[in-house]
Amino acid sequence: MKRILSLILAVLMIVGMFAGCSSKTESWKVTCPWAPSGVAAMVSQKAAAKSTEHSDSITLVAEAIKGDAATVNTWVADTEANDPELVFVGEGLLSITSIIDPAKMQFSYDDFVFVENLYSSIFVLSADAKLNIKSLADLEAYVAKGEEISVAVNGATSSEAFLAAALFGSMGAGAQLKLTPYQSAAEAAQAVAKGETKFAVSHQTQILETYQQGSVSIVCAFDEKAIEDGPFAGVEGVGEHGYPYFRNCCFVMARKGTDEQKITELKNLYDEILKDEEVSTWLNDTMLLEADTMSTEDVQAHIENVQNIVNQYKDVVVG
Amino acid sequence: MDMLQFIGPASGLLFTLENIIWINLGVFIGSVFAAIPGLSVILCVILFLPVTYTMSAVPGMMFLLGIYCAGGYGGSVSAILINTPGTPHAAATMMDGHPLSQQGRTKAALKIALYASTFGGIFSALMLLFLGPQVAKISAKLGTAEYFMVCLFGMTIIAGVSGKSMIKGIIAACFGLLLSCVGSDPMTSYDRFTFGVSRLYLGLDLAVCLIGLFALVEIIAKAEKKHSELNMHASKISKDDGKITKDEYKRMVRPVVLSSLIGSMVGIVPGTGASEASWFSYNTAKNMSKHKEEFGKGSVEGIAAAEAANNAVTGATLIPLLTLGIPGDGVVAIMLSALMINGLNPGLSLFTTDGDIMYAIMLGLILVNIFMFIQGKFLTSLFAKVVAIPQQILTPIIVIFCFAGAYSVNNNYFDLSVALVFGLMAWLMRKLELPAVPVLLGMVLGNMTETNFRRALLISNGSPSIFFSSVFCWIFIGLIAIVVFSIIRSKIKETRAAKTATQEVSSNG
Repeated sequence: MKRILSLILAVLMIVGMFAGCSSKTESWKVTCPWAPSGVAAMVSQKAAAKSTEHSDSITLVAEAIKGDAATVNTWVADTEANDPELVFVGEGLLSITSIIDPAKMQFSYDDFVFVENLYSSIFVLSADAKLNIKSLADLEAYVAKGEEISVAVNGATSSEAFLAAALFGSMGAGAQLKLTPYQSAAEAAQAVAKGETKFAVSHQTQILETYQQGSVSIVCAFDEKAIEDGPFAGVEGVGEHGYPYFRNCCFVMARKGTDEQKITELKNLYDEILKDEEVSTWLNDTMLLEADTMSTEDVQAHIENVQNIVNQYKDVVVG
Repeated sequence: MDMLQFIGPASGLLFTLENIIWINLGVFIGSVFAAIPGLSVILCVILFLPVTYTMSAVPGMMFLLGIYCAGGYGGSVSAILINTPGTPHAAATMMDGHPLSQQGRTKAALKIALYASTFGGIFSALMLLFLGPQVAKISAKLGTAEYFMVCLFGMTIIAGVSGKSMIKGIIAACFGLLLSCVGSDPMTSYDRFTFGVSRLYLGLDLAVCLIGLFALVEIIAKAEKKHSELNMHASKISKDDGKITKDEYKRMVRPVVLSSLIGSMVGIVPGTGASEASWFSYNTAKNMSKHKEEFGKGSVEGIAAAEAANNAVTGATLIPLLTLGIPGDGVVAIMLSALMINGLNPGLSLFTTDGDIMYAIMLGLILVNIFMFIQGKFLTSLFAKVVAIPQQILTPIIVIFCFAGAYSVNNNYFDLSVALVFGLMAWLMRKLELPAVPVLLGMVLGNMTETNFRRALLISNGSPSIFFSSVFCWIFIGLIAIVVFSIIRSKIKETRAAKTATQEVSSNG
C-alpha cells in the first residue's frame, strides 16, 4: 500500500513538473481586496474564467482577500515591477481613505500603473415606500420640511456615505442628515424595509429584491442622466438637477514599472473579455452594471472628482 | 409559489450522476478541510469557487453545499480527537467531545457528532423547503435592537462555560470582548488598539486566534508532560467499539431536536452563525439536562446539542439568501456570488422564473446531508485511528497543520505570530486557571454586540426605549431573565451544598 501511494505521488509530481515546464501561458494573479461575495470580486472571477477563451498567452487567476487598505499595503510591499500580479483599487482607497485616514495607506497612486477599469456601477437612493418619495422633486419637498434624514450606508466612510452627504449637503440639509453605517451592503439595503432608516444608498442589485417586494421606492440614481436599462430604467439622475455624483469604479492595477507592452496585452485582454456577449449580458442583466473601459486620463478625472466631493462633504460624514 | 408544480422538474435536475459525484466530492473535501485546524469552511469554499464557474447552477451549488454542510460536521473531528476545534463553531463540541474521547470512546463521540449533525442538517433543509419564504418574512422584521438582544442572550452562556469560578469566566469573557475591539471601529472606521500595525486594521481573525487558544496551548502543555503520560493507554483504544447505549440514544433525542430548532432559528438571522447557535444550544441542553454534572466531562447530550445546532444553521442561512437575496453568513455570501455568476439573482421572484432550480437546490440540501452521513460512517473509523498515533509523531504534524492553517487564512506571516501570541496567552491563562472558552465567546459576540448596541442607539437618537420596542425584544428579555434567574439559583444551590459538605466533614472529623 505504501509503495503504491509513493508511486502515485511520484508520478503526480513528475506530471505536475512537466505540465509547468510545457505551459506557454503566463498566469496573472488578480487580487481583489474586498469581500469574495462583493461586486468587484464577482466581476473579477467572471473575467478570470473567461481569460483562457480570449488569450493563449495570459491566464487570469482571481483571488479575493478581504482587507481593503491592509490587503493593498501587503500587495504593494510584496510585489515588484513586472511581477505577474494585479490588484483592484477603487475610489474608496484613492479618493476617500487617502483624505480621511491616510495613515492606513502605505501606498499611493504612483505605486501602480493603470491597466483597465472593468465596470462602473450607478448607486441608487431608495426610500421607505410609505414616504411616497419617487423623484428628486418629491425628495426636495421632503427635505424642505426640515425632518431628520436617516440614510443607511455600507460603512461609515464608504462611497455610499459620501454620495448621501453630497446629495443632501448640496440641498442644504447636511445638518439634518444622519448616516447609519451597516457592515454589509445587503444589511444597509434592508434597513429601510425594516424601518430603521428612511433612506438607503446601494448598488442596484442589492436593492432589487426589496424594491420588487414593494417595501421601498427608488428616488434617484447617482449619475448624470436617468438610468436607461433594466428594472430601474427611467429613474432620474442627480446630475440632471445639478447635484454632485460619481459612479463606483474599480481599477485593475499592475505594479509601477511593469513593461508597457505587457500592460497593453493585459488591457487588450480585459477589453476582449468585456466585449464578450456572455459577459456583457451578465454585467447588464444580472449585475446591473455597465462595462466601462477607461483611459488613464479618465481614471485621474474620476479620482479628482471624488476627492473634491470628499473634501467638500467630509465634515458631514465624519462630523 | 406552487411547490408541487416544481418538484418534478427539480428532481429531474437534481438526480443526475454529475450532481451525485459533485455532492460527494464536496462532502469529502469539506469534512477533511474542516477537520484541519485553521483551514476553515469559508476558505475551502473560496478556494473551490472557481471550479463551479464552468458548471451550471445546480451542480455548482451542490458542490458548494457539500463543502458547507460537511464543514459543519468536519470541525468536530479535530475537536473530539485533539481538543482543537477545526472550525470556530466546533468549540462547543470540544467541551464534551474530547473528554469522551479521552475515556476511550472516540468512535462513539464521532458517531454522536455525525448523527446529530445529520439530523440538524436535514431538519433545517426541510424547514427551508416547507417554511422558507414564511420564516424569511419574519426574520426580515428583526432589526438592530433585536440583534443586540440575541447577543445579550448569548452573553449568558458565559456562566455555563466558566468552569469552577464564574468570576474567572467573566474576567476571561471581558478579555475576549476587549480583544474583539481591536481593528477598525465598526461605526466610525477609525482604528482602535492597532498600534500602527496595518494588519490589525481588520481586527483579529477568529480562525487564527482559535489555533493559538486551543491547538498551540495543547502542544505547549504536552511539552510539559513526561513522555510516558502522553499517549493514551493501549487498553483504552482497543476497548473503543464505538457503541452508543440505548440510554444514551434516548438522552440524545431531546437536545438534538431542540438544538436543531435553535440552530434553524439562529441561522435565519443574518449576521449570526453556527458558533452562536452551537453555544446557545449547548447552554440550553445543559440547563435542561438531568445530568448537568456530566457536562464538560464527556456528556453525550453536550456533543449532540452542539453538533445538531451548528448543522441546522446550514439550511437556515439559505432561507434569507434564496427568498430575500440576503446572505446569512460568509460562506452563503460566496454561494450568492456562485448563483449570480450563473445569472441567477436570488429572491422570491426567482421562485417563479427559475422555480425548478430553486427547488432542486433545496431538495439537494437533503441529499447532501444523506451523503454526509454515509461518508461519515466510513470516515469515522478512519478518523478514530488518529488517537492511536503516538504523540511524538502526531504532535509535529498538528504543529505543521496549525501554522499552515494560520498562514492560509489571510496568506500572510503576521497571522503566525498572532497564533503564537494567543498560544502563549492561553498557556498563561491555564496557569492562572482562567478558562479559554469565554475568551472565544467574547470574541465571537463582541463585535456584533457592540455594533448593534451603538447602531440601535444611533437609530433611536440615544433613547434606550428601542430595546423594549418590539415583541421580539421582550421575548429575548424574558429568556435572559429566565437564564439569569436559573444561574443564580444553581449557584445558591451549589454554595449551600458545599457548605453542607464542609459541615459534615468537620462534624465527622
